[in-house]
Amino acid sequence: MSDRVFALLVRLYPAAFRRKYQQEALQLYRDRLRDERGLVRRIALYRDLLLDAAVGVPLAWRNSYGEATSARIAADASGMPTFHMLEREPLKPGSVIVGCVFSIMALVAFGLVMRLPAPHRFSNGNQALSPVEAVLDRINRVVSAPTGEAGNGDTTTVNGQSSQAPASSRAESRKTTGTDERLTERQQEQVIQGVSKNLAAHYFDRQRAEAAVEKLRALKKQGAYAEIADAPALAERLTADIRNVTGDMHLNVAYSRSVIQNAAPARPSTADILQYRAMLARENCSIEVAEVLPGNIGYLKFNAFPEMSVCGASLRKAIAQVNSTRAVIFDLRDNTGGFPETVAQVAAPLFDHTVAWYTPRNARSATTLHPVPSSTLAKIPVYILTSSRTLSGAEQFTYDLKMLKRATIVGETTGGGGHVGTFHRVNEHFGIGIPETKIANPYGKPDWDGVGVEPDVKVKAANALDTAEKMAAKQIQR
Amino acid sequence: MLDIQIERSYSRISIYRSSTMPKRKLNPLPAAAFQILLSLADEDLHGYGIMRQVEQQTNGRMRLGPGTLYSSIQALVEEKLIEEVDRKADAVGDSERRRYYRLTLSGRKLARVEAERLADLLRVARAKKILRGEYV
Repeated sequence: MSDRVFALLVRLYPAAFRRKYQQEALQLYRDRLRDERGLVRRIALYRDLLLDAAVGVPLAWRNSYGEATSARIAADASGMPTFHMLEREPLKPGSVIVGCVFSIMALVAFGLVMRLPAPHRFSNGNQALSPVEAVLDRINRVVSAPTGEAGNGDTTTVNGQSSQAPASSRAESRKTTGTDERLTERQQEQVIQGVSKNLAAHYFDRQRAEAAVEKLRALKKQGAYAEIADAPALAERLTADIRNVTGDMHLNVAYSRSVIQNAAPARPSTADILQYRAMLARENCSIEVAEVLPGNIGYLKFNAFPEMSVCGASLRKAIAQVNSTRAVIFDLRDNTGGFPETVAQVAAPLFDHTVAWYTPRNARSATTLHPVPSSTLAKIPVYILTSSRTLSGAEQFTYDLKMLKRATIVGETTGGGGHVGTFHRVNEHFGIGIPETKIANPYGKPDWDGVGVEPDVKVKAANALDTAEKMAAKQIQR
Repeated sequence: MLDIQIERSYSRISIYRSSTMPKRKLNPLPAAAFQILLSLADEDLHGYGIMRQVEQQTNGRMRLGPGTLYSSIQALVEEKLIEEVDRKADAVGDSERRRYYRLTLSGRKLARVEAERLADLLRVARAKKILRGEYV
């Protein structure tokens, strides 16, 4: 047996053993080789070696060879802490599997925790939200009540017709503890007092405000409110009575189940605005259709007039698509309004001269429209499709173009919603929307407020497109 | 296979074991280990010397191969029953530096305990008439 074979045999032993004893073992083997000569003795030697391996290998594996390590630690411990790698082998599959299992368990646990509803009201009574609560509140709001109005810029005001929309739903999520909706006589008295006070103080027409206050007082005396202990019903009744006296449909008494904050609501949060913009992008800025119908008739179905800074490009692109048509149809049957600025921007290309523009919503917005250079839409017939769902900004668009005799209105009388009053807090649960300024109407006729815009051609909303298409085709041929 | 795994992981942590831990590997004391302890009773020896000594004291019945020899030596060193002594091989002729081994106090004690155990065993064997008197 050569040294090589012996070396192979030695490989069966642990590395630590070999490091320490290989030389000596080889030496011992050579010594015996030297001493034991003769065939019989040699054979006995080889048999011994094999038997020795059978006994020695398990023995060698049972040893720890720890002494070398501890000796090294002792040698290194010269006042400085040292680290030794105890394991030089790669990770065992078992360890990897255990690690995977624990990771998955941790992930699942985290997922379960995240599914739990976040408690968004830590303290009751205290209306001031802590920063943490504010964030949770915002998350809850975004999750539970995604509303298109969120970024509308209207948070300081309440829409006359649909007052319960943004402010109250927002406030509602702020405090969901069921408030008793029954009112005591004293609370009712307080509400009526507050409404009267706000009317007298803020309504632009003092005379009509006084008349309304007077009427409320009289009705109260007659006991008209005596049976109304239900808070929402009281709000509804007061709204009806005030509108009755003033004839102003902008006035609106609103009830909110949740507490109305004393201070003016904060500007919409960045998160709200981002969410609103993401929603707009998802819905292609509410542009449902922008196409050219047979006979070269442009057809634009806008379901809102969204914020120009977000949707300006999309709107301009849609309008450009119908720029070379011979007639254009604006389908506003599902349009519930939007930004006055956008309404003006969409209308501007339809004129080749400056026109007076009526925006009752906002005293600060444009009162004139300037023509858009190179717009070919200015010279073609315009049709507007309306329905009873057409509201607010869409009504403004319809009304103004009708007054300017720029468009033919086809469909149903519009919803008659519209103007916005400034919201005033009456108490924790009641508020009133009051228009504070009278905006001059350049067309000298009452606007759509509360009555809607009458169409030129009255047809069912569902048939409006067919009718308008036929009319446009006829007009083009002429 | 599994046994080896367990053994290995056991031996890994054994660095931190104190000397009060039971001497698993050497309990019961294997014959080879006992013979090595006995061979070192008179003088310090290196590996080959131990082998020869063991061969001699067993009348040639036990001839330790390198694997058994050094595995046993390592086990005994780890249990502090013997210790290594560096000594220059001066007059022997080879210039190599060889490790010599010396019996420690606890090694000597363990050898005595083991010998007594065997003596007890012997007494029992004799009482049972397995052995005749002249041997001891």
